[in-house]
Amino acid sequence: MKRRTFLTTLILFLACFYAGILVISTTTYRDTVRRAKEQCAGEHYFIVSGFVKDVAALHSRGVDYTQSLDGLMRPYGLLAKNQNASLMLYDDGQRVYSNMSGSGGHTLRELKDDNRLVYADKAENKTYMEVIGRLPEPYDRFIVVYRSDISAIISAWERMKNTLFASGLILSCFLALCLLFLLERLFRPLSEISRTSQRIASGNFRDTRLVVSGNDELTEMARSFNHMADEIQCQMAELTAAAQNRQLFIDNFAHELRTPLTAIYGYAEYIQKAVTTEDDRQFAIECILMESSRIQNMAGQLMELASLRSDQIHMKVLAVPELFNAVGRTMQPRAAEKEVCLRFLCELATLRGDANLLESLLINLIDNGIKACETEGKITVCAAMQEKNPVITVSDNGKGMPGELLDQITEPYYRIEKSRGRRDGGAGLGLAICKQIALQHGGELSFSSHPGKGTTATIIFTTP
Amino acid sequence: MANILIAEDESAINELIKRNLQLVGHRCVSVFDGECAVYELQGHSYDLVILDIMLPEIDGFDILRKSGETPTILLTARNSLNDRIKGFSLGADDYLTKPFEMLELLARVEAVLRRTKKDTDQFTLEAVRVDFDSRQVFLGGLLADLTPKEYELMEVLIVNRNIALSRDKLLELVWGYDFEGDSRTVDVHIQKLRKKLGWEKKIKTIYKLGYRLEVNP
Repeated sequence: MKRRTFLTTLILFLACFYAGILVISTTTYRDTVRRAKEQCAGEHYFIVSGFVKDVAALHSRGVDYTQSLDGLMRPYGLLAKNQNASLMLYDDGQRVYSNMSGSGGHTLRELKDDNRLVYADKAENKTYMEVIGRLPEPYDRFIVVYRSDISAIISAWERMKNTLFASGLILSCFLALCLLFLLERLFRPLSEISRTSQRIASGNFRDTRLVVSGNDELTEMARSFNHMADEIQCQMAELTAAAQNRQLFIDNFAHELRTPLTAIYGYAEYIQKAVTTEDDRQFAIECILMESSRIQNMAGQLMELASLRSDQIHMKVLAVPELFNAVGRTMQPRAAEKEVCLRFLCELATLRGDANLLESLLINLIDNGIKACETEGKITVCAAMQEKNPVITVSDNGKGMPGELLDQITEPYYRIEKSRGRRDGGAGLGLAICKQIALQHGGELSFSSHPGKGTTATIIFTTP
Repeated sequence: MANILIAEDESAINELIKRNLQLVGHRCVSVFDGECAVYELQGHSYDLVILDIMLPEIDGFDILRKSGETPTILLTARNSLNDRIKGFSLGADDYLTKPFEMLELLARVEAVLRRTKKDTDQFTLEAVRVDFDSRQVFLGGLLADLTPKEYELMEVLIVNRNIALSRDKLLELVWGYDFEGDSRTVDVHIQKLRKKLGWEKKIKTIYKLGYRLEVNP
């Protein structure tokens, strides 16, 4: 690209430049020749008019002027010599006078209709301007030839032309160098960009950015390039995170599935192969049933999560007290079982949403609260308006959790305890389902928690 | 007969392992979290620990660091190469992933115990005494004459005592995968073994399944 630009620009420039020089030199040449012509014609006219007067004077006195033509012409010949020209007189085609120096002969061109002919003539490496003119009547048998040597003028023009071309050559070289330098400067950001994009293509996103300086189009481009790189890096990070999440989900899912399967397989094998009593067999069968129902439970929740992600929900205007009553009926017995005090505070009359889903959301959150509570547990469910948005909060005074874990708890199968113990029950999908329900309602589910003090779950319905 | 500590937080699986190990005559202690496991290991001497990696309180790898010389079989649902390498580099003797088969668990336990137990290994059932180190079988004090295959079959039955073994499984364990005989071979050898050791009542034929050496635990 750089090379092509260089060559094109140089060729274009040189063509224009030399065309200019050519035009100038031709014009100058024509001008020079025209002026020489005029000058020669003027001289010729002057000589002819002088000579005619002389001849006319002799003729009027009755002298035979044909005999003294040579004498008559001599002063004019000297005059012409001074002008670096030679003078010739022809009488009826016969040369009667000539002061032409050198041995070179001269042939008279024929005059046709005109009385005067001016032309340039080359002979012996010299250029001559010749004026051939017939004398006016009655002396029209005479022809005066004025032959001026214009070689000096022509060579002066040639010198000028040569100087022009020589300086043109030097200028072209200079221009080529300047052009190279300029293009190098112009193309440097481009090669910088190509190097950077190669580095980015090879996967080095971090610290690979263009230097943004100045305030021209290239800076603008560098800025948008950097922006593009940022965006790509951002999206790559998102994709990687998504892939990691997916992998984590699969790993967790495999684990969740494997544990009950191990138990089911193991107990079945135990019944089949081992020496067992009736009690042993009953125990094994109970284990198999329990673990099977756990898998069934998990499958159900997975289905719920999947259908929540794909289905549109039916939003209706709901009475919040009714919703709370329904939730209370389900949860109060469970709360009482663990001696947890469950209270509902309702400052909100209505809410748009799907009754079943919201119920399931609240039940899940309260259930988590009950599990977190130990002695003297208190759970408060509160519905109110906050900054024009309906908000439902579920707060408990249970064991709480460290703040840095709050982002992860809504991931499917995430468990705070590494062992993934399930003594509290649940398949690990509860909060993932809650989050999905909140999203489907155009809301946001967030948590705040202090270890030892309790956890508060907040659902803000941002879209009415 | 060995003392085995089972550290596994899933009570169903813990119980399953315990029952299986008790069938072949081991004494088992169950713990359900890391702290108890460490406490047990410090207070008592065990021949083997079956250790789940993901335990509450203290995880399996940390317990492995603290368990010192006690032989350990790691048990986990995570089947990643990194975990296995980490486990072995911390001194685990074997590695078992869930889900596992009962026979595999028993075979691995037996293998580790045989490698690590220092005292002589013997098995006695009524008049029969088997010395595993010298591969000799005594019937009422007299050396019984068993062919190598008969001895191996007897060994498999003893190791998996109280557990039914199918004819195919016995073929695989005693004769190897590439043996091309049929299950009749097993029946013939079982008959010979019963006759030679007087185990007609001990080696039971299990309907539709195979054979089982029954020993009161």
